[in-house]
Amino acid sequence: MQKEIIIVGLNHRTAPVEVREKVAFESSLLADSLKRVCSLPSIQEGVIVSTCNRVEVIVAASDGETAARELKGFLAEQEYPEGHGGLDSHLYTYTADAAVRHLFRVAASLDSMVVGEPQILGQIKDYYFAAHEAGTVGTILHRLFHRSFTVAKRVRTETGIASRAVSVSSVAVDLARRIFDRLDDKTVMLIGAGKMGGLVARHLQGSGVSSLMVTNRTFERAVELAAEFRGNPIRFEDYPRYLTLADLIIGCTSAPEMLLERDSVERVLRERKRKAMFFIDLGDRRNFDPRIHELDNAYLYNLDDLEGVARENLKGRKAEVHKAEEIVGEEVTAFLRWLESLDQVPTIIALRQRLEEIRKREMEKSLGTGLKELSERQREALEDMTAAMINKILHAPITHLKRQGRDEDEAVYIEALKKLFDLGEK
Amino acid sequence: MEVTLLKVTVVVYLLATASFIVYVVLLKEFFARLSPLILLGGFIIHTSALAVHFIQTGYPAIMQFREALSFYTWLMVGIYLLVQLKYRLAVLGCFIGPLAFIMSLAAFAFAAGREEIPPALKTYWLPLHVTLAFLGNAVFALAFGVSLMYLLQEYQLKSKKMPSLYERFPSLETLDRLNYLFLVWGFPLMTLGIITGSMWAGVHWGKYWSWDPRQISSAVTWLLYGTLLQGRIAAGWHGKKAAVLTIVGFAVVLGYFLWGDYLFPSRHGGRFE
Repeated sequence: MQKEIIIVGLNHRTAPVEVREKVAFESSLLADSLKRVCSLPSIQEGVIVSTCNRVEVIVAASDGETAARELKGFLAEQEYPEGHGGLDSHLYTYTADAAVRHLFRVAASLDSMVVGEPQILGQIKDYYFAAHEAGTVGTILHRLFHRSFTVAKRVRTETGIASRAVSVSSVAVDLARRIFDRLDDKTVMLIGAGKMGGLVARHLQGSGVSSLMVTNRTFERAVELAAEFRGNPIRFEDYPRYLTLADLIIGCTSAPEMLLERDSVERVLRERKRKAMFFIDLGDRRNFDPRIHELDNAYLYNLDDLEGVARENLKGRKAEVHKAEEIVGEEVTAFLRWLESLDQVPTIIALRQRLEEIRKREMEKSLGTGLKELSERQREALEDMTAAMINKILHAPITHLKRQGRDEDEAVYIEALKKLFDLGEK
Repeated sequence: MEVTLLKVTVVVYLLATASFIVYVVLLKEFFARLSPLILLGGFIIHTSALAVHFIQTGYPAIMQFREALSFYTWLMVGIYLLVQLKYRLAVLGCFIGPLAFIMSLAAFAFAAGREEIPPALKTYWLPLHVTLAFLGNAVFALAFGVSLMYLLQEYQLKSKKMPSLYERFPSLETLDRLNYLFLVWGFPLMTLGIITGSMWAGVHWGKYWSWDPRQISSAVTWLLYGTLLQGRIAAGWHGKKAAVLTIVGFAVVLGYFLWGDYLFPSRHGGRFE
C-alpha cells in the first residue's frame, strides 16, 4: 500500500557528455518508454526527464529497493558508449525524502550547471505533461510535480538566484538595458565576423533590437553575415559614416590596430547630439580606444569587463543558494506530511476511530458518576493518560500493518482486524 | 484635530519611507507595490488635515512657514503619486518618501506664528501664487530625485561595478526623459508662480518688483532652470550635465526655502509688514 518516490538517473556531474547523449531518450519514443517504465512490476507511476545535462526517471513505487533495481535495468537497456565503465558507475539513486528534495532542487535550478538558469523548469514541465498524456502519472507524481513548479516559482521570486546575468551576452544585454529604456528602436552595428560578436548580436536581437548593420573587411563576408542576421551589409570603408546612426557598436575583429579612437567617437557623439552610445569590444586585441569610456554618454565594455560582471553576478547567485535551500527544505517537509497522510490505510483510520469512541464514552461515564469530584487539572491528566494508552496499544499493530502492507498477507491481516474489532464496511 | 491629523501624516510618511527602504534593500516586488499605497494613505490623511484647516479658518494653510512647508510636502507627494501611476517608479519613492517625512516633521519644528492674517492679504492672489510656485518646486523635487538616480546609475556604469542595490533603477534614457518631462512641467509652473506673485505684490505693495530677497532668489533659479530647459531643447544637453544642473537648481530652491528667511529677512515667509 505505502508508496515511495524513487529517482534513478545521471547528470552533468556524474556522467560525461558522451554517456548522457547515448542514454538520453528520443522524444518520439518517449511515450513508449514511459509505458515500459510503468509496466515494471513494482512501479505504479513514472515520469522521464531527459535534457542535455540530465537523464532521470522519477517513479512512485510500492517497493523502493526493487524499483531502484528495476530502473537501473531499464536504463541499461538504453544505448551506451564503450569505454566508460559500467553505466552503474554514473547513476545515482534517491529514495523517499532525498528523492523529493532532489526533484525540487532540480526544478528550482539549484542542481543546474549554471545555478539559476531558467530553462530547466520549462523542460521539467514539458516532460511532466508528456507523461501526463501518456497516462503514466497518478495522484502522487501529479502532486509531486506541481509542488516542484511551486517551489521553483518561490525560489525565483523570493531569492535573487535567477535575477543576475551570468553569461557574456546576457551581461551585455543587461548593461544595454541600464543605458537604454527600450531596445526595439535602437540600431546595432556589428564590426567583424568573430563568433562572440555574433552571439551578442543575436542576444540583442532576441531582446528586441530590430535594426542591425554589419560590416567586415571583405564585403562578401559582410553580405553573408547580414543575411544570417537579417541585417544590412555595409562596406568597411564606409562604416565610420554610419556610426552616428548606431546606438550599440560591437567590435569583434582580429585587427591589430585600433578601429575607433576617442576623438573620432567624440565627433560622432557631437553629431548625435550626445545621444548615448554603448561600445562592446570583443576583439582579440583592443578594437576600440579604452579612453572612449571617459566620454560623457559613451560606455565602453570589453570582454574582460563583461566577464568580470558575469563572475560577480555568479557569486551573487551563489550567495542566494542557502535561501533557496531553505525554501526547498520547507516544501519537502510539507510534501512528506501529505504523503504520510495518504499512507494511512482506511482500516487503520477506522480502528483508531473505534478505540477513540470507546475511550470517550467510558471517560464521560466515569466523569459523570464515580469521578465527579475531579478538578479540571485532574480531568486533563486523565484525558492525556487514556489517550496515551490507546496510542501505545495501537503502535505495534499499526507498524506491523504498515510493514506488512507490501505483502500478499495484507488482505488477511486487514480482514482479521475488521472481524476482531467489528469494524465492518462503511 | 488638524494637528493630530498632521502628526498621523508624519508617522505614515515614516512608515512609507521604511517600506521603500525595505524594497530597495530586499528587492521584493511586494514592497514596490505596498510602499506607494502607504504613501497614498499618508497623502489622504494629509489632505484631510488641509481640508480641516480650510473649513475652520476659511483660508488655505499657507500663511505660516510651517503651513507652507507642510503644503509643499503635500503637493510633492501628490505629484509623485501621479507619476507612480504612469511610470511605476517605486525607486523614486525612496527619495520622495524620506523627503516627505523630513519636511512634514520639520514643519512641526517651526513655532506656530500669529494666526491672524492682515485683512488686506486675504485675497485669492496669494493662495494662487503660493500654489503655483510650490507646484513648480514640487515638480523640481521629483526632477531632483531622478537626477540623483541618474548620477548613481551613471557612476555604476562608468566604474563597471554593479552592486545589486541599484538593480531596479530605471535606465539612463528613462531617467533622462523624466528629467526633461519634469523640467517641461516645472518651469511654466514656476514662471506662473513668479508672475502671480508679482501681480499680487503690485496690488498690495504697489510695486511689482521690489528686490525682495525671495524675489531675487526666485529669479536666479528661474534663470538656472530656464537655461537648462533651453539647453536641452536647443543644444541637446543630455544626461549627466542636465542631471547636475537640476540638482544644483533644486539645492538653491530648497536651501533658500529652508534658511533664506533667516539669512535675508523679507516679506515672504509670513512677515508681511
